[in-house]
Amino acid sequence: MKTITVAIAGNPNSGKSTLINAIAGTNLQVGNWPGVTVEKKTATLKIDDLIINLVDLPGTYSLSPYTQEEVIARDFLVREKPDLIIDVVDSTNLERNLYLTVQLLELGIPIILALNIYDEAKKKGYEFDIEKLQELLGIRVIPTVATKKEGIKEILNAIKDFAYGFYNITPKKINYGEDIESSIKAIEENLKVTNPLLLSKYPSRWLALKLIEGDELVMKEVDLIGDETFLQEAKSHLFKSHDEDIESMLADIRYGIANGVTRDVLKKKDGKRVDFTEKIDRIVLNRYLGIPIFLFAMWFVFKFAFDFSAPFSDWIDTTISGPVTKWTFHALTVVGSPQWVISLLTEGVIAGVGAVLVFIPVIAVMMFIITLLEGSGYMARVAFVMDRLMHSIGLHGKSFIPMLLGFGCNVPSIYATRVLETERDRKLTALLVPLMSCGARLPVYVIFIGAFFSDHAPTVLWSLYVLGIFMAIALGFILKKTLYKGFAPVFIMELPPYRVPVFRDLMIHTWQKLKHFVIKAGTYIFAVSVIMWFLLNTPYGVEKENSALGRIGKTISPVFEPLGFGTWEASSSLVAGLIAKEVVVSTMAQIYVKEEVEEEKEGVDKEKGFIDDLKDAFLSFGFAIRDAIENLISGFGIKSLSANEEEEQRPLKSKLQGIFTPLTAYAFLAFVLLYWPCVVVGIAMKQEFGSWKLYGQALVIHSLLAWFVAFAIYQGGRILGF
Amino acid sequence: MDIMDIAVAGVIFIGAVYILYRSIWKKKGHCSGCNGCCSKTKDKFLL
Ligand SMILES: Nc1nc2c(ncn2[C@@H]2O[C@H](COP(=O)(O)OP(=O)(O)OP(=O)(O)O)[C@@H](O)[C@H]2O)c(=O)[nH]1
Ligand SMILES: [Mg+2]
Repeated sequence: MKTITVAIAGNPNSGKSTLINAIAGTNLQVGNWPGVTVEKKTATLKIDDLIINLVDLPGTYSLSPYTQEEVIARDFLVREKPDLIIDVVDSTNLERNLYLTVQLLELGIPIILALNIYDEAKKKGYEFDIEKLQELLGIRVIPTVATKKEGIKEILNAIKDFAYGFYNITPKKINYGEDIESSIKAIEENLKVTNPLLLSKYPSRWLALKLIEGDELVMKEVDLIGDETFLQEAKSHLFKSHDEDIESMLADIRYGIANGVTRDVLKKKDGKRVDFTEKIDRIVLNRYLGIPIFLFAMWFVFKFAFDFSAPFSDWIDTTISGPVTKWTFHALTVVGSPQWVISLLTEGVIAGVGAVLVFIPVIAVMMFIITLLEGSGYMARVAFVMDRLMHSIGLHGKSFIPMLLGFGCNVPSIYATRVLETERDRKLTALLVPLMSCGARLPVYVIFIGAFFSDHAPTVLWSLYVLGIFMAIALGFILKKTLYKGFAPVFIMELPPYRVPVFRDLMIHTWQKLKHFVIKAGTYIFAVSVIMWFLLNTPYGVEKENSALGRIGKTISPVFEPLGFGTWEASSSLVAGLIAKEVVVSTMAQIYVKEEVEEEKEGVDKEKGFIDDLKDAFLSFGFAIRDAIENLISGFGIKSLSANEEEEQRPLKSKLQGIFTPLTAYAFLAFVLLYWPCVVVGIAMKQEFGSWKLYGQALVIHSLLAWFVAFAIYQGGRILGF
Repeated sequence: MDIMDIAVAGVIFIGAVYILYRSIWKKKGHCSGCNGCCSKTKDKFLL
């Protein structure tokens, strides 16, 4: 059994993760913007008796890293010394990508160059002299189209042949010119004698080059300060002959090589088409239209989400509150369960978890759209368009990418802040991310919107998301003046071409995001439901109002009095929401469930048998599909939520209508949007920034923000006579 | 409710608290989409 480690390196967005997915059948996250992968990930593959560890690395433009995820890539390449590097190159941008390749050559590790995105390059009329490229760099070159699995077999064979020693790959040593070569030699010789340990840790030529450049990170790592005599001696003639700093001189040489090689191997014939990407960008990136277009696109998304998911949500709701509850009740009665067990399962678990499951279809549609956004290339454009606004808070548009990802779930966004340059940028962005409305908040919005604003559902939902973005910028502005002073440098971000996402990827990534919510419902929403049931039923048999939860709620409710929802029910649900925002809905459902089950017990449909109910459920699912499609086709606003009003009102909804007014409901939703981020976000913050301090700040700042905004909405609304 | 019921209820309660602890603390909220949380797990074995 032989094992080899293959590092997949390359510029951001060149298709590294897609290539690994194609080779190993994994589902690594892929997206059409630079900075998708921020952590190294390993996929293992076994062919005959060869084990191949493919290590996916974050993209990097050079081996002198600026951001944290680039450091991760460099550290792996330099310290862990993989047996082989697959350098994934975006062939539509050969020259810029070769700048990294030149540096990879310095490592002395065998390289296979995957000339990826070959399809787009072909379309642009590019022609490559592959033989020549191989010859010039001394490495294997294989054209690939990772999305279509073209060239994958060749790559695999090349890895295999290399592993079994059928051929050697000896990367060319790029000649940096007499002056530098002699310095490299002097340093290598010296280290051989004085510090052989260091040379066993790092590739020697690369290390010598970094010491010549005076790379700060490397100097720190190897405990040199730079004025050691051997370094000074080795570099002295460079200082004499070149006044400019040595680092940029080396960069110039590398660019020169990349440019020269590109000119030798690439012929650009005229591509036939007008650039589609440029055309769209002229409108989408327009100075004045950019932000309105983004806002309109968002509204459209919510419209779509409501129209398509409403019938499925209704179906789940009817099934759970009807047959599932009924038959669980019957089954438990038949086996002679005690009353409290029946209550725990029906009023606790089924009501609680069910209330969240009802909204899985909306969440699914939202996750689908977010995945589409990630895959199409529009995401990077939004970051670009928001750049000016973000500058006002001392961040740049790039920070908007983690924030946009937060529309799915805030937790991965905290990790995604790694693409930012400074610690300050990262922390500030991480503090703003929780104001982006995540999928877990959708159930709360949708239930309230259904009860109070069903005629304007998409618009109200849209207003909440926009409020989140707006408050993030406002909060950023305050933090920039106080806790997080600083300025952002000019925005440099590559805008990838628009791409039609591969359908399979789209589905897989949607499912990966959605899975999170389903697992959550099955594990901790379930657990919280059980715990809440106990809190609602201790001491056993009392009115809910006087239960443990009721009393906790009553104690804190005065805090929410000025916001218009100072009831114990709302207060205790909000506190429980610290665990996860869906819990606000599951707890409310448990509190208001009683009558529903009682009605069920009297049994309107008692005469219906199990099989009949099952048949009904199947049939009505069919209707749900039909309705969803009809909603989509009949376009806007004809059916959807408002149409369901004739149907019987759900108990939770009608209960809510009795307790909230539209004004207090909106204040409540704004509060849920803005108040403390869930504990899992806290754990992620702790993991990324090393302490609980940031989460502590977030808890205080966001709760205060939420309180004041809800206060302004409620009191303002009252003055205006709502 | 007799002693037996209370004992069973206690076990269920503790079980729920444990599930909560495990999924939030140990599994980091089952966050699947995030790149950050799973550095040690191999994504898929094709053995
Ligand atoms: N047309 C075309 N698109 C490709 C090809 N390979 C990848 N893509 C697309 O390029 C985009 C980037 O792919 P990723 O695999 O996420 O790129 P990456 O190099 O892992 O990016 P980072 O993780 O951000 O460094 C995605 O939209 C892919 O669908 C290809 O061969 N042809
Ligand atoms: Mg990637």
